[in-house]
Amino acid sequence: MKQAPDRRRFLKVATCALGGGIGATVAAPAVSYLLHPVGRRTVTASSEPIDAIAADAIGAEPVRVPLRARMLRDAWSATSDVPLGAAWLRRDERGVHALSAVCPHLGCAVGFDRRAGEFRCPCHDSAFAVSGERRSGPSERGLDPLPLTIEDGRIMITWIRFRSGGSSREPA
Amino acid sequence: MYNPRVAVGDWLNERTGYRRALHVALEEPVVGGASFAYVMGSVLVFLLVMQTVTGALLAFYYSPSASDAWGSVAYLEDQVTLGWFIRGLHHHGASAMVICAGLHMLQVVIYGAYKRPREVTWWVGVMLLGLILAFALTGYLLPWDQTGYWATKVATGIAGETPGAGVEVQAALQGGNEYGNLTLTRFFALHVFILPALTFGLVAVHVMLFRKHGVTPRWGRSAAELERTTQPFWPDQLFRDVAAMAVAFAALVGWTLYTGGAGLDAPADPSSNFDARPEWYFRALFQMLKYFSGPMETVVALGAPVLIGGVLFALPVLDRGADRSPRRRVVALALVLAGFAATGALTMISFRADAADPALGEREVESERLARRARRLAREHGVPAAGGTAVYTTAPWYQARALWAEHCASCHSGDERKGPLIGPGYNSRAWIRGMLTTPSGDTYFGRTKLAKTEDAMPDAEATGADLDALIEMVYAESGAPDADRALASRGAEVFADQPCADCHERTGEDSSSGPNLAGRGSPAYLRSFIADTSQPRFFGTKHQMSRFVDELGPAELTVLADWVVWLRTATDDDVARLDE
Repeated sequence: MKQAPDRRRFLKVATCALGGGIGATVAAPAVSYLLHPVGRRTVTASSEPIDAIAADAIGAEPVRVPLRARMLRDAWSATSDVPLGAAWLRRDERGVHALSAVCPHLGCAVGFDRRAGEFRCPCHDSAFAVSGERRSGPSERGLDPLPLTIEDGRIMITWIRFRSGGSSREPA
Repeated sequence: MYNPRVAVGDWLNERTGYRRALHVALEEPVVGGASFAYVMGSVLVFLLVMQTVTGALLAFYYSPSASDAWGSVAYLEDQVTLGWFIRGLHHHGASAMVICAGLHMLQVVIYGAYKRPREVTWWVGVMLLGLILAFALTGYLLPWDQTGYWATKVATGIAGETPGAGVEVQAALQGGNEYGNLTLTRFFALHVFILPALTFGLVAVHVMLFRKHGVTPRWGRSAAELERTTQPFWPDQLFRDVAAMAVAFAALVGWTLYTGGAGLDAPADPSSNFDARPEWYFRALFQMLKYFSGPMETVVALGAPVLIGGVLFALPVLDRGADRSPRRRVVALALVLAGFAATGALTMISFRADAADPALGEREVESERLARRARRLAREHGVPAAGGTAVYTTAPWYQARALWAEHCASCHSGDERKGPLIGPGYNSRAWIRGMLTTPSGDTYFGRTKLAKTEDAMPDAEATGADLDALIEMVYAESGAPDADRALASRGAEVFADQPCADCHERTGEDSSSGPNLAGRGSPAYLRSFIADTSQPRFFGTKHQMSRFVDELGPAELTVLADWVVWLRTATDDDVARLDE
């Protein structure tokens, strides 16, 4: 089993080099393959305003309205009439307002506590005024308003999913 | 002197004992010296690792359900960064495993390495060969494309002929009475959980047994010579193993780049007429079935794999002499080599038969065209929730053309039609010119009953610039953006002076003996016209077309009207391109 140390050393280095080369040739494409979704919009909904509800159905007390997209592209699939999220609608002297039901803290769905007259997140107890203003709890900002228009007596809402966390409002 | 590398190594070794583990793994003496003859086992382990890695990567994007499988694979293949490459490695890696398993087996047979005391190693190896083929069979179906679907149908169909319990065996394999979601979840579970677990377990046993008995050196070498030429596994044998892996890997990458990956057929369509072909390593079995029919077919289809496996299993029992020299084992070697030769011959006959069939070649070209179309539609529009084949419904004008084929084509296209021809260029200036000058021509109202009555429209009397102006006037009613308004106004003056005005109103919805021309050819006009041509402003009592308002909904009428508007500026090529 005795042989020249130089030869053995060469064999060891060559073996590791070949093995490393194979590994790198697989690893490099694998990483770009796995990171494909990063920075890509893999889920996109049709962007036109969504017909939510008749305007005269909305009063001073907030009403929860589900918002459905006409079309949703999700990676390979294309689906029609898909729920995207929900909005809380309410009317005051200045008109109708829409708030995203997504808690700005970590994305749970906020509910309306009638007795306390405020929005409450069921997860971490963030509380928000009827206007959406932040009252207490871990959320760093108030509920996110959604743009709306009223056409032929129907409330048309543009759905935006905002990034959760932080005090500034940015679309996700 | 303090050496940090040694210190860290010592610390780790004290807690894990890794140095001893490495020593046990690597310092194995290779009796008789390292050799390239022994590399195939290691190459197979390498390929198994490659399949595991690429398989896990594929699972990041694959979805095993009848409605999602094809779409997810099309997405992976055509949209995910290097998805085609990863999937190509996995697909061709399966072929590489079959090839290397064949070479490994051939080497073992030639060296007589299955003989005492290595019979169990051999048996485990034969089982592993079966597992490799089971991987191939289950994996082929997962993309839920035409090739995989139909080839696997044949395989489960054969299982369904099992005597006594065929129905039950087939239902257990395919997860019910038909191919569907449960077939895919079942094949997926087998392919990614059960088969890998069995394979890793048996590979561990195979390698342990190999380590127990060591390599089988070439026959006819003395014990003293073997002892003298013994080398360590690391690095002498491992270098050769890794070099062989590098060659196999380079071939695999090269073949994947050359072929552009695995390819993906059109989505599985049970209503289609597809030429099912298995992967090349099952071609011999596929070909053999052509020679038998009736009960013999079942016997061969089920019996051949059992017979081949049985002979391989029995080999160490049949060939028991201590001498490993091939010359003393002619019968055993001949048996195995004849098996290899017969398999090769049947495979070749099968491929040659296909190559010599021009009709098959045409059908293959057509199915490739369909695959390209399906994948392009999936890329551009996504796959509807109904699944794979629903991708065709996302083609431009799909619904309109389907409605057209069902309700309109019999009267408005083809040689058997009874009404005016409606196709590319309908309501264009050239079409209007023909209509005004020869309204009872064959492509216009010539085939209608109306053309044979005194109510038929006479040929226009206007010529030259007057005719051009009239044409523009009619053309402008369609709302075409390129209409010349000034010329159209002049056309209106010509219209008033000509007999046209005797029969045609051209404002509002007033009725006249001929159709009111206001808005003629616009989407709203066409929608209303298709709905009911018996309205007073259209043909009134002279109408002959069905009242489609009774058959079609508002959305369908709109789609059809839009399609007819689209035809105005379309050419035959534009329509043909819709089918690409």
